[in-house]
Amino acid sequence: MTPVMRHEQVADYVLGTLEPAQAEAFEAAMARDPSLAQEVAEGMRRLHALDDTAELLAADDALWLRIDRSIGQVERPGERRASALNAAWDSLRFWRWAGLGGLAASAALAAGLVALVLAPEPAPRFVAILVPADGSPAGAIVEVDADGGARLIPLQDIPVPEGRALEVWTLPSPQSGPVSVGLIEEARRADLAIGGLPAVGEDQLFEITLEPETGSPIGRPTGPVLFKGLTVQAL
Amino acid sequence: MQRRLDQTAGTGFDYADALRRCAKGERAALRLLYEQDAGAMLGVAARILRRRDLAEEAVQDTFVQVWRRAASFDPARGAGRAWLFTILRHRALNILRDGGREEATDADLLADEPDDAPDPEAVVVALDEASRLRRCLEGLEPQRRQGLVLAYTFGMSHGEVAATLRVPLGTAKSWIRRAFLQVRECMR
Repeated sequence: MTPVMRHEQVADYVLGTLEPAQAEAFEAAMARDPSLAQEVAEGMRRLHALDDTAELLAADDALWLRIDRSIGQVERPGERRASALNAAWDSLRFWRWAGLGGLAASAALAAGLVALVLAPEPAPRFVAILVPADGSPAGAIVEVDADGGARLIPLQDIPVPEGRALEVWTLPSPQSGPVSVGLIEEARRADLAIGGLPAVGEDQLFEITLEPETGSPIGRPTGPVLFKGLTVQAL
Repeated sequence: MQRRLDQTAGTGFDYADALRRCAKGERAALRLLYEQDAGAMLGVAARILRRRDLAEEAVQDTFVQVWRRAASFDPARGAGRAWLFTILRHRALNILRDGGREEATDADLLADEPDDAPDPEAVVVALDEASRLRRCLEGLEPQRRQGLVLAYTFGMSHGEVAATLRVPLGTAKSWIRRAFLQVRECMR
């Protein structure tokens, strides 16, 4: 994209004069290019006051009920993929257990796993495999999508004593220190709240610690680190 | 501070916090957003779509998307309220470009009297007098200002703006784009 085209497309997108197909293509470009997304967000912010010149209309409970009903059926980003991934891991364990898989089967399975990870959009951009310090099998995966969604996918049951919970942390930068991105009462798949943080990059630390059931009281990990790992870029 | 940046002046409503809670699956936070802004959103959608039923559809779709995408909201990148209305405007525009408005019957139209033709200057004077956006818009050539406002607030395409302003398509296009860039520069 030349600088002029870029400016024009930002203008067209912010003002809403792109055709739906063009707008979609532009959104894909934004997902790849944070500086473009930044430019668009800035433009949106500047013109946002125009929205408040519209007449205020009454929004009733019937409309809310329709919304409430439809979000009950909404699949959160990653839900479908996560279950497919779990199934793949189950079969991975099966192959390992059987010990007979051989190279071909593992290769096919690996290809299948990659396909599962990549097939439904948004594809994960980074993956971290969280392992315990003693080198025993991995406890969980963290997936981070190109669109900023992230989730924890446990790979094994993690014992949680009464009155405690699992807290997930990441380290966006050494200066910021660890930031809590999720609290779960047991090992289960969970969306991680990375929305307010700088975009996840390669070699970013994620870890799970054992904390009081309402989360660490000081906003920093206090309990033992159960699993940790660094992000790597997904294919 | 991100938090301060994300509170809309006057209301004190914390959009970043509500969106963070939506991302965690708290429906009560989405409901708060609804109470806070659904009325304003309906107004914005109705100005573009001119039909109450389609405006409601746009608002409904917007809240569903906000619920799904709350985790991807980046407070460092922009105010939460602008983000909500961006989703809304694009949803309304998609409904509009899909031809929703063509199927309107008279009864569905909110108010489409001849004297109710889109009036971009009325939009500009409805902006807060002290606002920078208003000053910057008022600094533009009238037709460029009108082109920008017609596109943004009434959801007009380049072609519709050209017809309204009675200029060739290419002229309308470059006026609108240039107006946008000028406003952006002016507000920096």
